[in-house]
Amino acid sequence: MIVAENLTRVYTMGRVEVRALRGVSLEVEKGEFVGIMGASGSGKSTLLHILGLLDRPTSGRVTVDGTDVLALSDHQRTLFRLNRLGYVFQDYALIGELTALENVYLTSLVRGAPREEYLRRSAGILERVGLADRMDHRQSELSGGEQQRVAIARALVNNPSILLADEPCANLDSQTSKSILDLFARLNEDLDQTIVMVSHEEWHKEYFCRVVTLRDGLIGDMAECRKERPPPGRTA
Amino acid sequence: MFSGLQVSAFLAWKSIQRGSKGTLALTIMIIALIFVNLIFLPSIISGVVENFNTQSIDFDIGNLIIEPREGSQYIENVTSLQKKVERIPGIAGTSPRIVAGVTYFYKGRNAASTLYGITPEDERSVTKIADHMLAGEFLSNGDTNAIIMGTTLAGEEGEEAGGLPSLQGVVVGDSVEVAYPNGEVRTYRVKGIYETQSFNVDTAAFVTGREMSGVLGLNDQASAILVKTDVNGREEEYKTELLSYGIQEEVRTYREKAAGFVDQAVQSFNIINTISTLVSLIIAIVVVFIVIFINTVNRRRQIGILKAIGIDQGIIINSYVLQVLFITAVGALAGMALAAGVTTYLTAYPLVFPGGPVYPVVEAPAVLRSIASLFAVSVVAGYIPAWQIAREDILTAIRG
Repeated sequence: MIVAENLTRVYTMGRVEVRALRGVSLEVEKGEFVGIMGASGSGKSTLLHILGLLDRPTSGRVTVDGTDVLALSDHQRTLFRLNRLGYVFQDYALIGELTALENVYLTSLVRGAPREEYLRRSAGILERVGLADRMDHRQSELSGGEQQRVAIARALVNNPSILLADEPCANLDSQTSKSILDLFARLNEDLDQTIVMVSHEEWHKEYFCRVVTLRDGLIGDMAECRKERPPPGRTA
Repeated sequence: MFSGLQVSAFLAWKSIQRGSKGTLALTIMIIALIFVNLIFLPSIISGVVENFNTQSIDFDIGNLIIEPREGSQYIENVTSLQKKVERIPGIAGTSPRIVAGVTYFYKGRNAASTLYGITPEDERSVTKIADHMLAGEFLSNGDTNAIIMGTTLAGEEGEEAGGLPSLQGVVVGDSVEVAYPNGEVRTYRVKGIYETQSFNVDTAAFVTGREMSGVLGLNDQASAILVKTDVNGREEEYKTELLSYGIQEEVRTYREKAAGFVDQAVQSFNIINTISTLVSLIIAIVVVFIVIFINTVNRRRQIGILKAIGIDQGIIINSYVLQVLFITAVGALAGMALAAGVTTYLTAYPLVFPGGPVYPVVEAPAVLRSIASLFAVSVVAGYIPAWQIAREDILTAIRG
């Protein structure tokens, strides 16, 4: 469970102060698929960065499964990201020198998992995201959709309690976007995976159990989680 | 800890394996050349010292030299002293020498230099001059009017010897006049010309000790006794041994005898070597720093991503340090191969110094020192840029 309380984030750009978040409070229950939506500059990526421990708020408090993550040292935050969070970036953020399989098992290697186990697990996840025949390909040999699937597989390989995705479909065509969202929906439904995803596409709403809308660094709307989501057209 | 190193090694290897081969090869080549430079000059200095030591022992001083006690010009009772020394275990031979500064006259030309009076058979047991005859023969014990002359002193017809004593064209069979310090002038027939490439010896000449004693009025006296030992390198032990046998004269090792000259030369070489080493190491630091700095700047985003997915910055820094270690190790190996090639070439075609041909002597400590210093500067030069980038804020790094 994520609890964010009264988060503010102020950037100083020269003499100008930009208030990206002005006091955002949010709770995400286990198993929710939450969409954070809003116009460009509304603070949605900033919020996700803070929830993903990639950035620190100017003020406020964040707890993840009861851990005050802002009180952690840099090293502890790194371990927390490794063991508890999965992060999917808008532009995939793969390591270009590694193959799809290597990108996926890298974090398992850091965790000290036995070779056979991490190879089996990483290959299994890549199969699950439909990349069984692309494991030995490097980033430059994969399409945008395939790269994003590798990024998702990488985020999932260590069974994170929360999957955070920052506009994962921003660079993809609608068909590929749909397949990615179907994959997220399936993970959420089948594995009860908690997912917080940033998006600005209206049609993505149908996948989320709850939508949090940000306006100028504040929460504009926050719906209750729908227990029954309308079945999206799945392509994956 | 272990898994961290494993990940660092994994990232380093993938970067080497799939990164720019051209940059990698160029960096390795530069490290190799720096390595060659680091060991080349010391090997030449060692070669010069080795060459000087060999020449001192083989032609000029022997392993040890016995000289008159303080206040005396000559060693007295030379024959008895020789016998006493030769009875000591490990002494291979002794050769008394009388030394005089003389002037040589030949076809209207003259040259001031040294003349030695020797007992030819004794000299054969100590020095190798007899084996280095260019023309004619070495002296015999019975020779009275014969002289053998160094190639520099004999000289070449019409050629100056660059300030060195030269009679410009003496050949075997010629007659040379020698003016002794006591005013006596003798004419000798040139029996042989030798070339040792030892500066001191090739600018001098030798007659028999009997002849020189006659001219100078000496009786069983010598300016010095050269001592040859069975093995080289244990001169200090033999010196102690000689002194323990009650020898009252001054006993010195060839190193002590030649100390001033060699020490000055070695000191000068060492200054040059230190400057050269420092420059080489600075070049190594700059090259490795630039390579790793460019590498890390180009991978700034990748470093940010690695941190974002939970990889500790220490692992990331270590991956760059391991890359540097790999590059340095391969560079040092390539450098060793290159150095072996250069050494082989210079052994076949040695550098010619005024003291003779100098063969490079590559000593293990110098090689180990070069490897250690190269690794040390490379690791530092690789660590700093990696540390600078890896400690950056994640989002700043990801945004490049």
